[in-house]
Amino acid sequence: MTLARAARLLLGFVALLIVVWSFFDVGYRALARGRMAQERPITLQILHWGNAAEAGVVQKLVERYEQDNPQVRIIRIHTPGGDVEMSNKLKTMLAAGTPPDLFYLPPGLLPEMAQMELIRPIDEYLEQERRSGTAGFLDDYFPIMIDAWKYDVDSQTVGRGKMYGLPKDFTTAGFWVNVDLFKAAGVDVPYGGWTWDQFEAACRRITSLSGTSGFEGRKIYGGFFQLWDATIRNILWTYGGEFFGRRPDGGVDFRNVTLDEPAALEALRMIVRTRINEGIVYNPTGIAQDGGQEFINGNIGCIGPIGRWMVPTYKSITSFNWDFVPIPYKSKEHQASQIYYTAWSMTAGTEHPDESYKLMKFLCGAEGAVMQSELGLAIPPLKSVAYSPAFLSPPGIPPHNAKLFLDAIEYARIPQVPSQAQWRRILEDRITKSLQLGKVTPLENVKEIEAAWLAELNSPLRQRRWPLVRWDLVLAVTAAIVATAVTMLWWRSTREQLGPLDRAQARAGWLFIMPWVLGFLALTLGPMIASLLLSFTSWSAMTTITEARAVGAANYRQLFAADPTFCQSLKVTFYFVALAVPVTQLAALGVALLMNLKLRGITLFRTIYFVPAVISGVVLAVLWLQIFNNDYGVLNEILRPIAHQFGAEPPDWFGRDAARWAIPAFVIMGLWGVGGGMIIYLAGLKGISASLYEAATIDGAGPIRRLWNVTLPMLSPLIFYNLVMGIIGSFQVFTQAYVMTGAGPDNATLFYVLNLFRQAFEFHNMGYASAMAWVLFLIVLAVTILIFRASKNLVYYEGLKT
Amino acid sequence: MTSLQTPPKPTETVAHPTPVVGAAGAAASTGMMRPKARGPGGVSRTQALLAYTLLTVGSLVFLVPFYFVVNGSLKTDAEVQAGDFITPPQSLDDVQWQNYPRALAPDRMNFFPALANTVVITTLSMIGQVISCSLVGYGFARFRFRGRSLLFMVMLSTMMLPAQVTMIPVFVLFRMLGMIDTFWPLVIPMWLASPFFVFMFRQFFAQIPEELVEAARIDGANNWTIYWRLMMPLCGPVIAIVSIYTFLAAWNDFLAPLIYLNSPGNRTLTLALNAFRGQFGNSDAHLMMAAAVVCMLPCVVLFFAAQRYFVESVATSGLKT
Repeated sequence: MTLARAARLLLGFVALLIVVWSFFDVGYRALARGRMAQERPITLQILHWGNAAEAGVVQKLVERYEQDNPQVRIIRIHTPGGDVEMSNKLKTMLAAGTPPDLFYLPPGLLPEMAQMELIRPIDEYLEQERRSGTAGFLDDYFPIMIDAWKYDVDSQTVGRGKMYGLPKDFTTAGFWVNVDLFKAAGVDVPYGGWTWDQFEAACRRITSLSGTSGFEGRKIYGGFFQLWDATIRNILWTYGGEFFGRRPDGGVDFRNVTLDEPAALEALRMIVRTRINEGIVYNPTGIAQDGGQEFINGNIGCIGPIGRWMVPTYKSITSFNWDFVPIPYKSKEHQASQIYYTAWSMTAGTEHPDESYKLMKFLCGAEGAVMQSELGLAIPPLKSVAYSPAFLSPPGIPPHNAKLFLDAIEYARIPQVPSQAQWRRILEDRITKSLQLGKVTPLENVKEIEAAWLAELNSPLRQRRWPLVRWDLVLAVTAAIVATAVTMLWWRSTREQLGPLDRAQARAGWLFIMPWVLGFLALTLGPMIASLLLSFTSWSAMTTITEARAVGAANYRQLFAADPTFCQSLKVTFYFVALAVPVTQLAALGVALLMNLKLRGITLFRTIYFVPAVISGVVLAVLWLQIFNNDYGVLNEILRPIAHQFGAEPPDWFGRDAARWAIPAFVIMGLWGVGGGMIIYLAGLKGISASLYEAATIDGAGPIRRLWNVTLPMLSPLIFYNLVMGIIGSFQVFTQAYVMTGAGPDNATLFYVLNLFRQAFEFHNMGYASAMAWVLFLIVLAVTILIFRASKNLVYYEGLKT
Repeated sequence: MTSLQTPPKPTETVAHPTPVVGAAGAAASTGMMRPKARGPGGVSRTQALLAYTLLTVGSLVFLVPFYFVVNGSLKTDAEVQAGDFITPPQSLDDVQWQNYPRALAPDRMNFFPALANTVVITTLSMIGQVISCSLVGYGFARFRFRGRSLLFMVMLSTMMLPAQVTMIPVFVLFRMLGMIDTFWPLVIPMWLASPFFVFMFRQFFAQIPEELVEAARIDGANNWTIYWRLMMPLCGPVIAIVSIYTFLAAWNDFLAPLIYLNSPGNRTLTLALNAFRGQFGNSDAHLMMAAAVVCMLPCVVLFFAAQRYFVESVATSGLKT
């Protein structure tokens, strides 16, 4: 007892220390920031993505720049993951009115940002450089790198118009090969280029190595493709295909999807044939399964078409020899490589455009380029650096044929991307149906993608020119309604006859509940009204609210009439609620009944069962990601022998069987946290008077009758409470899906709130997202009212009156 | 202030003035004292055997994921990538302790600033919830004023409101207040009471006998003194529960920090943990697991330290009546 007490004291002391230290640390850093802000009046925020090594390079450059420019303080914001995650952060920052000054602009974002006038062209600065004779550095860029950052807003075409950024780096694409596997299969490494037929033949031979001597117990695949829009596009090119057609003037016609033309279909069929039909190209379906990783494990012959950015990762491979070869092609004239490229670009909202340009030029300069190329991630856009030993033969970094990357520039092409962020989502979310899951033919799949894309473009929300919202009117009407309500309340309160004591009591009562009243008005009621108003508008949040346009009920019409993702997310969410709520509640109740038994050591069990409930969110998601992995996951290791007894395979939770099993997988994850509900039921069970059980026993009731006639009725208010809260919570699932699956595959885990989050913070349809929020609210309200009605005769409230 | 700094008084103090609490406490304690009696929930030998079997199997299921994540955090990248969380390290030399310092290092998770930020946000949230919810609960429980029950109903029904309905306007509101990339949007709502905890406090305060309050009033105490000197010291268990649940919610919050915090210096632990997800797949799963272990450690420790409040005190507070 004393030991426990001492331990608790010590723990409290440590906790106190941590809290005190934390406040000091945060305060100290705030002071330091303040001092910094005084010493360095110009603050530039820069936003970028990349792995830890790349972040290190940017950090070094930033420190160098700060040394040389004592006026400038740089806040470097780094997002994990790739460009999609950075784009979301960028858009959130734009919506918050705190745009970064400079950021990594991925080419996919250029049209969208330029169309919305969110980025600032740098032509004026380049003109200045030319006039002062310092524009020589521009000639050092590969010409394609200059073109890639030009965009013409009117014709929506990349490669002409104004220039929106300075190139940071780029890479051409090709295939990484496992030289040892090629040798073992007796295939020559195709340094000089190869056709897709040769590719398939090579893959077949490499795949047949599986299980042979030297590869015992290993499944070997010939190749692997990622299913990104960029890799698919590149493969299409090498067959002579394209995503979109062209207009007579050479501009891109984004309304004309050419995925159904023979060349494109031939390419898609090749992917289906090799990945699904023949199984000679690795087809990972579940989460945490990754072809890139299998390549590193030495089980894949070649991987592509991707760029140079794999070098830092592959550097640590010691178990086999690897190298780089060109992309296969259908015929030589179709040889093509997409270039992947990134620029530092300036937001239109920057307060320090001149300083930003200066920093941009530094970050894209030779020093940064050398450091980047030593990292091995990409090709420096400066010819002088690219053709120098820093890139071609940096010390100790394979591949030794780095020049192949430069050779590919000859047939490299700039991709044309629509300005609507939805295209990539539509393509990447849906193409998995044919290319990964094999559920439909490529032609059916392509038709579906085209229909979804055209529906997006033709949405009345985009097509019509809606009038601006008359905020003055809206505000006046809202104010009038509020004023009327307040006056009525005040009038009614004056009619009351209250003694001075009652009056004092009422005043004190109001004072005490003031925190909630304030919170309710500012954070609940006000925002509810605001979101209701917003749901009748179209507003991107990147402009001021005065730019919002009144669309009437168009958001709601679009939701119910023309938005397949809305229906899908409703379906997913209802499936989850219908499954999760009963299962979780039954489990919680069952466990609570067990825990209520008077057994020795039961408190230990209680602890064990409750602990998982304290873990949630990201940690939970990260943990279960590994458990559900189809290839290596522990769960399927356990299930496999059981399933085999019945002649079945365990489910590919988040892959092929996702439509059926992804949601149950989330329910299983939720079950792990059953301790939370258990505790509440246990509390209820403890409160049931023993005399009730004694009376029941005397009347001859067995354990089941006692459970049915005493325990359940007495618990019914709690069951009801848990049910309602469980339903509300289940409708709002977000973090697990965001971290684990990102809605995939084929939108099987597109939970309602994830869909809403995307609309709000990825596509920036704030009005549309508000309409979705209100629909969710009404659904939850309806379900709750339904339960209240249904439970009227089932909930026994006598038990509450002690 | 918080449960960690000043452990709330044990249940016995409150057991006296509140009959309900007394009953619950008695039920719990008699339960512990009469293990052999066959009362409600009393069990025979075979039943006990069955129950133990069930409980043990269940415990394994509940503990195994912990084992995986801890085990994975002590392995090499290659082992984790090959999915080997099951076999423990072969010898002590194989244990990859360095995963932890590497995961927490400034160039990875940058643990210490993130920890300080999270602790500050969590502490302010806990204090805010305890103070604001108890004030409002006291107001609803002990004062009569027009519209009180209506407001109480309104408050309870806001629990049904999905947070997403208000998310966007609240974001715009904090933007107008210039509070983006500060802790305020995460902390201020915590000082404005949340319905469930208010409900718990109200139920508790409503049970305290009027005579106690009258006696204090005769001694010259005003409303504030009664609240602070009489009521608050009595409701230790409720304070503990509110603190604990607020701690867990604030510690694990992801969406709000994701939206409101930008600068790397302001990152919380969940954001730092999320940052482990690399650009091209999870190539650092072993480090990520080490980071996950460190992030959940305080929650687990808190549970062990405060488990009797978790397990027993729910009965004493609010929910029951």
